[in-house]
Amino acid sequence: MSEAPRPSPVTLAAYGAVAIILAVELVVFWRALNPSAEGDYRAYYIDKTTTCLAQPMTGAYELGRRVSFRSDGAALTRELKPCGWEGPVGDGTHSVGETSRLRFAVGTADAPLELALEMVAVDMPGPPRQRVRVSANGIFVGEAGLTPGEPRRATFPIPVEALGGTGILDIALDFPEAISPGPGVSNTRKRAIKLLSAQLSAVDP
Amino acid sequence: MAVPTDEIVQDRAVVAPLSWAFVALVPLTFLLVGLVLRFLAFRAALPEAPVTNFAQALCRWDCHWYVRIAEEGYDPFPVPGRIVAGNWAFFPLYPGLVGLVRQLLPFPTMVTATLVSLACAYAAAVAAWPLLAGNRRAYVLYAAFLLAGPFSVYFTTFMTEVMFTLLTIGVFLALRQSNHLVAGALAALLSATRIVGVFIVFAIVLAMFLDHRRQGGTLAGFVPALLRRPVWLLAIVISPLGAFAYIAFLDGLVGDGLAFQHVQRAWGRELGNPLGYLAQALTTSARSGFFPSIVQQQGFAALAGLGMTGVLAWRRRLPEALFSLVCILVPLSAGMASMPRFVAGLAPVCLMAMTLLAARWWLFALALLVLLVGGYFGAFGWITEYVALV
Repeated sequence: MSEAPRPSPVTLAAYGAVAIILAVELVVFWRALNPSAEGDYRAYYIDKTTTCLAQPMTGAYELGRRVSFRSDGAALTRELKPCGWEGPVGDGTHSVGETSRLRFAVGTADAPLELALEMVAVDMPGPPRQRVRVSANGIFVGEAGLTPGEPRRATFPIPVEALGGTGILDIALDFPEAISPGPGVSNTRKRAIKLLSAQLSAVDP
Repeated sequence: MAVPTDEIVQDRAVVAPLSWAFVALVPLTFLLVGLVLRFLAFRAALPEAPVTNFAQALCRWDCHWYVRIAEEGYDPFPVPGRIVAGNWAFFPLYPGLVGLVRQLLPFPTMVTATLVSLACAYAAAVAAWPLLAGNRRAYVLYAAFLLAGPFSVYFTTFMTEVMFTLLTIGVFLALRQSNHLVAGALAALLSATRIVGVFIVFAIVLAMFLDHRRQGGTLAGFVPALLRRPVWLLAIVISPLGAFAYIAFLDGLVGDGLAFQHVQRAWGRELGNPLGYLAQALTTSARSGFFPSIVQQQGFAALAGLGMTGVLAWRRRLPEALFSLVCILVPLSAGMASMPRFVAGLAPVCLMAMTLLAARWWLFALALLVLLVGGYFGAFGWITEYVALV
């Protein structure tokens, strides 16, 4: 009875290399399927629970000043838009996605404020009316209904408890009826409103 | 049933020294012609721009991402530019290579990238010679296509198509010579060049299966035969190594090895039925006039690629057909964007197209004329950001 030939050292080395490379690839693959990223990254890119990935804007703003979100206000509004906006262009700053955010640095403000937003609904095939649900630092402060071609100035009271003492006021605008521009397009590209101007003022006693 | 083998003409050029001159000089000629055509397009599109802006002016769309990767590397999270899209979608091999060469040469990044791209495009043309089975007319057309044709901007500026093409040709050349380990090593580089490069592993396994059949093996006996060949196994496992290395890098950088895929959300891309996307594109006409809409043009590019893939399959060049099919369908499942670029960068498809166009003298002459005229207009459209070319 003849014995099977012993594998050469080169053959053994090749099998060994295959085993090592395969093991490394399996580990990398497992880690790829179980990413360690958390927070905003995970919510936006992986879990897709938000369409608005907030950027670290300063919110630099002079309390009481009305700022234009058309092209003429680009410099003043740049630091006010953490996410969910495109523009500004001539007819305003366009919302993209299902939520857009505004940020205002309010300093040591410790009294109620009022937020005034001038907005208009986009004119696209879809729901005839856009609802805008507004919250301030996570506290719901009101809702506005908008129709295309009819700009509207809506005001929202900002209670003291929403200010939270951080000096930053984060405003979230949710658009439940945001319109998809077409099939096969992610919800990060949905359209709802055009923001024309914003003003955050102290409330007269 | 015997499986036909592909013709290899690797010795023909060695036998005839004049052939070497032909193989070397044809792409060199088109390299120079292409530079002239693109320069004329640059002058026509940007008459006020200084001549020294030539290389920079040809940097459009994704090119800017590659320049930034070559100069600064990959984005952490949050992205420093305060934008949603990090540069993780762009695979590292080619911008990394340009970044390295940039350390050695005293030129701006785009000048360095242009030089590297021209060298790679020239090498790709020369490397394609053995795959064209001695077909000189097809070789002339392919060299013109790469270096002076309508899509030469993809291969001569700073896009990954040139490296993708060079490595794809290298893999199929190695497979023709049954050198699976070299094919696997080149495939590893290919998988670090573009995400679809990782799918070359299927072509390698199919080529191994065809080799196995040529040697009288059976379908059932393929896996046992594979396990008895450690070099074949090694070729298979190293093929996706470049992609795995990038995944491991991204895992360390942002905690998400698949960041290159997840970041597509920032561009609003959703995976869908590729044939549905194709049908929708082909039926979306322009609002006025008879000229096809942008998405129709992109759809025609996909159709042309699929057509050539069918010809490859019909000619029993199954590994190339399989790779081409995957390389068209995978990006097509995310929409029509960049389809002309993806098809132009698919070497087996373009080599087959050039072979067909070289079938008759008159067709060859006409195709060469169209390629060169298209070289000017393609560059003009690229510089003026004609969207179908993106």
